[in-house]
Amino acid sequence: MIHLTIDGKQIEVAEGTTVLRAAQHNGIHIPTLCDHPHLAPYGGCRLCLVEVKGARTLMPSCTIPASEGMEVTTTTPKITEARKFVLSMIFSERNHFCPYCQVSGGDCELQNSAYEQEMTHWMIQPNWSTFRVDASHPWFTHEANRCILCRRCVRTCNEMVGNNTLGIEMRGASSMIIADLNVPLGESTCVSCGMCVQNCPTGAMMDNRSAYLGLTKEAESVKSICTGCSIGCGIEVFYRDNNIIKIDGDYDNPINTGVICKFGRWTKLYEFDEAEKFTTPMIRTNGKLEPASWEEALQKTSELIKSTQDDLAAVISSELTCQSLYGFISLFKDHLSAKIVTSVEGPRHSTALKRIAEEIGGSFEDSLASIDTADCIITIGEDLIKHHEVVGFMIKRNLSNNEAKLVCIDSDNSSYEKYSKNFLNISPGTEKEIIKGLVAALVKLGLKTCDCDDCTDPDAIVQAAAKACGIPSDSILDVAYAIGTSAKPVILFGGAITDDPKAKALTTLLCLNKMLNGKLITVKGKANSLAASQYGLDNIQKIAKKGETLVAVLADDKLNDKWSKLAKGANNTIVLATYQTEFTRSADIVLPVCNWAQEQGHFVNFEGKIQWREKLVDADLNVKTTAEVLSLLAKHLDFTIPTYWREALTATPASVKIQ
Amino acid sequence: MAKPKVSSDWCAGCSGCHMSFLDMDERLLELVNLADIRATPFTDLKHPDEDGVQIGIIEGGINNLTHIEVVKRMRERSKYLVAFGDCAVFGGVPAMRNFFDLQETLHYVYVDTISTDESGKIPNDPEVAVMTRVQAISEVVKVDVFLPGCPPSADAIFYTLSELAKRRMPKLTGDLLNWH
Repeated sequence: MIHLTIDGKQIEVAEGTTVLRAAQHNGIHIPTLCDHPHLAPYGGCRLCLVEVKGARTLMPSCTIPASEGMEVTTTTPKITEARKFVLSMIFSERNHFCPYCQVSGGDCELQNSAYEQEMTHWMIQPNWSTFRVDASHPWFTHEANRCILCRRCVRTCNEMVGNNTLGIEMRGASSMIIADLNVPLGESTCVSCGMCVQNCPTGAMMDNRSAYLGLTKEAESVKSICTGCSIGCGIEVFYRDNNIIKIDGDYDNPINTGVICKFGRWTKLYEFDEAEKFTTPMIRTNGKLEPASWEEALQKTSELIKSTQDDLAAVISSELTCQSLYGFISLFKDHLSAKIVTSVEGPRHSTALKRIAEEIGGSFEDSLASIDTADCIITIGEDLIKHHEVVGFMIKRNLSNNEAKLVCIDSDNSSYEKYSKNFLNISPGTEKEIIKGLVAALVKLGLKTCDCDDCTDPDAIVQAAAKACGIPSDSILDVAYAIGTSAKPVILFGGAITDDPKAKALTTLLCLNKMLNGKLITVKGKANSLAASQYGLDNIQKIAKKGETLVAVLADDKLNDKWSKLAKGANNTIVLATYQTEFTRSADIVLPVCNWAQEQGHFVNFEGKIQWREKLVDADLNVKTTAEVLSLLAKHLDFTIPTYWREALTATPASVKIQ
Repeated sequence: MAKPKVSSDWCAGCSGCHMSFLDMDERLLELVNLADIRATPFTDLKHPDEDGVQIGIIEGGINNLTHIEVVKRMRERSKYLVAFGDCAVFGGVPAMRNFFDLQETLHYVYVDTISTDESGKIPNDPEVAVMTRVQAISEVVKVDVFLPGCPPSADAIFYTLSELAKRRMPKLTGDLLNWH
């Protein structure tokens, strides 16, 4: 431990702590601009200057490590003068005209710092040169006139997201934030996660939707979770007068530690803004959907369900809350014994996992956090650029921050190809063979030993695998060498492995993992897929018979093509939906329900963590929550939905620990 | 001791700062007790007293030669010069003009704009002041007190003037200090 004095206060900190962090942890305020608690120290703005006894000049507290016996003073007339000077230089460098900026009045860290230093003016006027405004991106604008070159956006793009789109060109006062090799943002490799917008201290990175909707400082905020996919990232939502202003990543949530993707920040919000919503129950009369009362709609629904008891099919979106999923299965399976009760995803993300979990009698997967410490990441059959982007960000930032190796095995042209020297483009459906080949290759190379019986002739197995997968056997050996020589490998696998009722590929994968002493992780589709499969909502989907009644509980989710086709075969379709879609247009009864922002409830993420989603805004008066509609429907069918959703989650073994 | 004299004038501003001055409401009476309000845009006198005033106030930045004359006269005749509002302190909204060529701007405003008549004509009467680049007051004369804000709040104005009238140098902090 290091002992130092800051403003006369005796402080003890761990070695390597910077003076700024030491002060912050002890409640001593030092103004900063380029510093961000979740980024590495940079020392760019010089606002955090402090006096260190014995030092020749003022020192930037964000980059000097605390040392034994150090005596630091954070406010003296000399420091205040230096800070005012630093701020004057920043204000004069570009065009900082507060009255026309959307963050002026509390959201701008530059302005707040100036007020804090009691600046009433700056002596040097700008030179009235204009800087570019890049509005090529649909969701945010880069207004270089307001940029203070703190490089937080650049560091965020690199350190948090690992995307390295943003960078700096030129030097000194001519420095400019650019995307890629100076192309417009909209045409760059930007993945639109918006982390740079969230971390920008001024109005330079401007969110097109929330700009001028109101100051964040004056809005109310609540911490919730994103239910866009099975990661369950923490988000912080700012809202005012029943309107969502913007969504930021929640740095306090241990799952994503602040990083979210475009889906969580923008896509769902824009969809909410733009989609046509149902505001009242609708019943098809004379071939047309006509508004009806809740009582009429529920009465009609229950009559239809009763009359087609034997031919009833029910499907629910696995993007809904545990409460809704459990209510759904209790009503349709336990009470009505419907022929088909399943989720829109069916067995894709669960069968193999469940089987293995039952065999082992417990969980075998690890947490997402192990990616950050891995020195080799192996992805098999999962495109983390298209889905579960935040996991992709974690992998990419690990590659650039810790120089980890990445091995991609995919039958698709994986978008990770460019990040990985070890990319195996295998033939579709040969995941099992390639894993077997890797096991044998590890034995052949003498890197690991295998205690399975079928590894007697590793050479032949590698050859066979190479032939089956359509790749040269040398590349299998290369990849085996890469993973066999790493100390902390993590294997991320996807639908190609889990979508197999006999779990053959997964069994081999477990064997490989055991040899490597690695960690296994799989992402699981939609936000509540794991809960859906724990409740048994993962039957194979087939309905097409005439005379059937289909109940589809969708809320703001959409049916995939396969389901839409299946749904066409049904005689009567009852839909619980938020938005008007192609599918709802052909429905016979539509019951309007809340979307992700309007209904609260529990979700189980792919690591098995049970999280609470907050209700953010009120729905229309005549729109009810899915859970409420299900319980009202149950009442009409003489049933009361039990409340054991939490117990039911852990009734069967799962591949992760649910808690 | 006699009450200190206060005089104000405006240049390239929107008069909003002076409106905010009037927002002091009943405190105007308090201010009148503290200071002798002389030539201002809302009193009858046209120019600050030739024998000088204690406090001279300028709203707005400088965008033509007349403004330079106004500001210089105010500077000569006042002991303390207050730059009143964002335009006087920084150049403010009129300073956006500096990003464009002056002739182009005039052409756009008087000829190209939809609302102008077809024979759009840029005023060229010799009586019209010659336009210049927009400047903050402090770029032309020495300023003693900066009172930023768009407009400064009535509280900030009252505080600043009453402090000066009591012969103290105002120090804007907290809620009184804002230029947004």
